[in-house]
Amino acid sequence: MASALVIETQSLSKVFGSQRALDAVNLQVAPGAIGLLGPNGAGKSTLMKCLLQLQPITSGSAKLLGREVGREGREIRKRVGYTPEQDCHIPGMAGCEYVTYCAQLCGLPFQAARQRAHEMLDFVGMGQERYRKADTYSTGMKQRLKLAQAIVHDPEIVFLDEPMNGLDPKGQAQILELIQSLWKTYGITVVLSSHLLQDVDRICEQIIIIARGRVLVHDTLENLKARKRGAAEVVVMAGHAELQQACRLRQWPCELLANGHLKVEHKSESLNSLVGLLQELKLAPLELIPSPNALEETFVQALEISHATS
Amino acid sequence: MPLHNTQYQHWEGFHLGLWQRRGTIALNGLTACLQIKGMRHVVAMCWIAALGMTAALFLIGQLLVADSIVVQWVGNLNPQLQGFARTFTSWLEQHPEVSVRTTQNVLFYYFGTFLLPVSIFALGVVLPVLITRDLASNAIIIYASKAVSRGDYLLGKFCTAFGLLALTWLGPICAAWLLGNLLAPDWRFFWHSRVALFHTVIFGIGSMVILSLLALGVSALSSKEKSAPAVWFMWWIIGGVIAPIAAQTKPWLRHLSFNYNLDQLALSVFRLGDDLRIAQDNVPIFGTMLRNIRAETMAALNSPPIWGAVCGLLAMAGIAALVVVKRVKPE
Repeated sequence: MASALVIETQSLSKVFGSQRALDAVNLQVAPGAIGLLGPNGAGKSTLMKCLLQLQPITSGSAKLLGREVGREGREIRKRVGYTPEQDCHIPGMAGCEYVTYCAQLCGLPFQAARQRAHEMLDFVGMGQERYRKADTYSTGMKQRLKLAQAIVHDPEIVFLDEPMNGLDPKGQAQILELIQSLWKTYGITVVLSSHLLQDVDRICEQIIIIARGRVLVHDTLENLKARKRGAAEVVVMAGHAELQQACRLRQWPCELLANGHLKVEHKSESLNSLVGLLQELKLAPLELIPSPNALEETFVQALEISHATS
Repeated sequence: MPLHNTQYQHWEGFHLGLWQRRGTIALNGLTACLQIKGMRHVVAMCWIAALGMTAALFLIGQLLVADSIVVQWVGNLNPQLQGFARTFTSWLEQHPEVSVRTTQNVLFYYFGTFLLPVSIFALGVVLPVLITRDLASNAIIIYASKAVSRGDYLLGKFCTAFGLLALTWLGPICAAWLLGNLLAPDWRFFWHSRVALFHTVIFGIGSMVILSLLALGVSALSSKEKSAPAVWFMWWIIGGVIAPIAAQTKPWLRHLSFNYNLDQLALSVFRLGDDLRIAQDNVPIFGTMLRNIRAETMAALNSPPIWGAVCGLLAMAGIAALVVVKRVKPE
């Protein structure tokens, strides 16, 4: 399982009337934490829905966990979890009843389903509120509930559509940590659709950028950052002016950011030249952040190219 | 240190089969139906009615006993009735297989048609629980993302409606048949009443299938909780009012009422005309009574417009299925 591809698509297209939501998408995705990026209406959710058979595919083919989408729907969905972007609880049900029911729908016997539901609600950080009707939950609680129902049947892959929407910063940090642990600790492949680049940057290893129904970029985050090497953020306590002066002499563009960091474009693949300069100036950096905005720059660049070609 | 409890365990157990997952949907729906205010009272009322039916069957069974206390009791009420009871008793004694079959067939027809309106009412009340709420809350997406298909979901919901009707209609009648025959003076009552039970089951299951389909269709019409019951009760009441009036000018219009169609189906299945003829031939007092029945009523009993009713019900079920297919989608 670890080496097999989890998602394979060939010329996958989805058309709504005159609008082409997915345009000949070709993907071969290995297990891991996968970030699905794109502006609103890019086709991220449609791609997820096509893979889960919530939307019929117009043309092309797709495989999820090695099985043909469209032929083995139930078997695929038994091994897949999904949190939709919108609210989707069943009215009148308490949180724990809802998660138990979702586990039963995936084939878990009632006793086991109930036990796992409580474990998953613990896992997502829900307390006694699980006994309240889901209709009364805050947005943050609903997001946790959605995550719990998506993983209650122990899927091999989880699709998370904007799971951070409506969460306060503390809640975002908790949920992000949970999502990160799903792959890193428990080996569950995560496909995270989000427009929050910093979240994707923090937990994902692979990045897929989609715009206008086309895959613009599909690569590992490491490779994307490698392409953007040559820039770094330097955090120093003092000596900002000296460093800026030294950079100017070497013709390295240098900019003082609002957060007090210095962004230096040192134009080399490694940080050695920058570290050498800091040693020369006898400055001890508090932190050196290589390729700080690689994902954002790649994202913007990809969108610009997409706009230009269309 | 993590901010949360990270005790995630992989699931190592077995998975239940598809029919159990469908059963889960049905059972969950039925539980939700019974949680509606007053619904348990309605169900309880139907089972109390079943006890009444059992009592009726018990009294009829007692007529077979020589010098039955029931005949004496009837005689105390009215001496003329005692004569009727004695004639009836002698018929029961002479031809138990025909008399028990005929009597129970007529009784079960009335039991069935007595509980039908209650069941239609109960179904109308629970309509939002079937599909409407799932449409309103986007829960359809959750079902579609689990290991069940749209067909499984609809089958589960169909079984919910069917299950409710079994609780309010067929279940009580079958229980009354069982209890009534257990209390009968002769075990052969079970055998002699098999035709009545068969007619009840055939009519009950056929009607429950149609009503469940109609309920799913109406439930899927709108995502507003009040709309579905409103449409259902309007259809039921207006159909019930229009049917007899429309029959005067355009007879086909009466088939727009599912209630009327089900009545015709019941008459056709139970074949009451045959039973009355047998009773007329064997119990003279019946002959006198039946002569007072109007010719149109007898004609309706003997040859109900069954094909029109069946076509009407099938057309309604077809439209309901179309509505469901069109409306119940993840997006």
